[in-house]
Amino acid sequence: MVKLAAKCILAGDATVGKSALAQMFRSDGAHFQKNYTLTTGVDLLVKHLAVPDTNDSVELFIFDSAGKELFSEVLEKLWEHPNLLCLVFDVTNEQSFSNCAKWLERVRAQLQGSSLPGVLVGNKTDLTGRRVVEASRAQEWAGSHGLEYFETSAKEMENFEAPFRCLAKLFHQLYRERLELFHSLV
Amino acid sequence: MRVIDLCEASEGTEVILATSSDEKYPPENIIDGNSATFWATTGMFPQEFIICFHRHVKIEKLTLQCYFVRSVRIDKSNAKEPVDFERWVERDLVHTEGQLQTEEFMFRDGNATHLRFVIKSAFDHFVSVHRVSIEGLNVSSLT
Repeated sequence: MVKLAAKCILAGDATVGKSALAQMFRSDGAHFQKNYTLTTGVDLLVKHLAVPDTNDSVELFIFDSAGKELFSEVLEKLWEHPNLLCLVFDVTNEQSFSNCAKWLERVRAQLQGSSLPGVLVGNKTDLTGRRVVEASRAQEWAGSHGLEYFETSAKEMENFEAPFRCLAKLFHQLYRERLELFHSLV
Repeated sequence: MRVIDLCEASEGTEVILATSSDEKYPPENIIDGNSATFWATTGMFPQEFIICFHRHVKIEKLTLQCYFVRSVRIDKSNAKEPVDFERWVERDLVHTEGQLQTEEFMFRDGNATHLRFVIKSAFDHFVSVHRVSIEGLNVSSLT
């Protein structure tokens, strides 16, 4: 039995619903923030997740980053040594999708050689009439960058846990792989 | 007095604190004299462990065997309890692909009762510490 701890960077443009998604996840769906508040710097949320089919668990330290800060240097310090990435865009906002490449580049610049497991999340799927980013296109982009793709509606409480469960599973997998590597050294 | 292996179990040395604990890879593995067994960290840095000698010793040489460690600091204390640590030595390690990092430290000012190892950063998400061996002298019991 082991409890892992992972620093998870939640990134993406302003107003795509990062905080709503994180709050929803932390409160197990009890809390959807109806009014928008701009996140400045970083909000930290901690959530404990069991890894299915094991006795192990992962404590996610979710760093909900300010979407306004794409080009600022404030985030550099707060993002040091990330373990996981949750990249969010709004399926009704083309710009938020195309900016994902920049966010990804900025987070990966923090890494010194090691890999960064991550997911791409298309949020606001409840706004069906206004969708401009098709699932297939997002899926393809995610795949080509080594990310798993999820669609969510924080508002309709749909699927909001799936990306985080996936991240916990990926981190646990990575730990198991590293243990094998450590065993192979001697 | 003769130089001995201060980590040998018969000498009473213990790891009394570690910031990561996977029961399959416990911190005791660090001082069991066997490089094949290891303590694994379970995420996020810094990570620490404290070795308690339960006596006053004088350390002459310390060897650390580990993997993926980028930066480590060793603090020491001469107190009866694990308090009043002072910074002792700090070092950046080189990544050695596919083989253990083996780092040697030589000391002249090696009087201690406790050592604290702080793994400040790493080359990966997790590190392993396979062995700490410490050569030196038994000085006196704790009074």
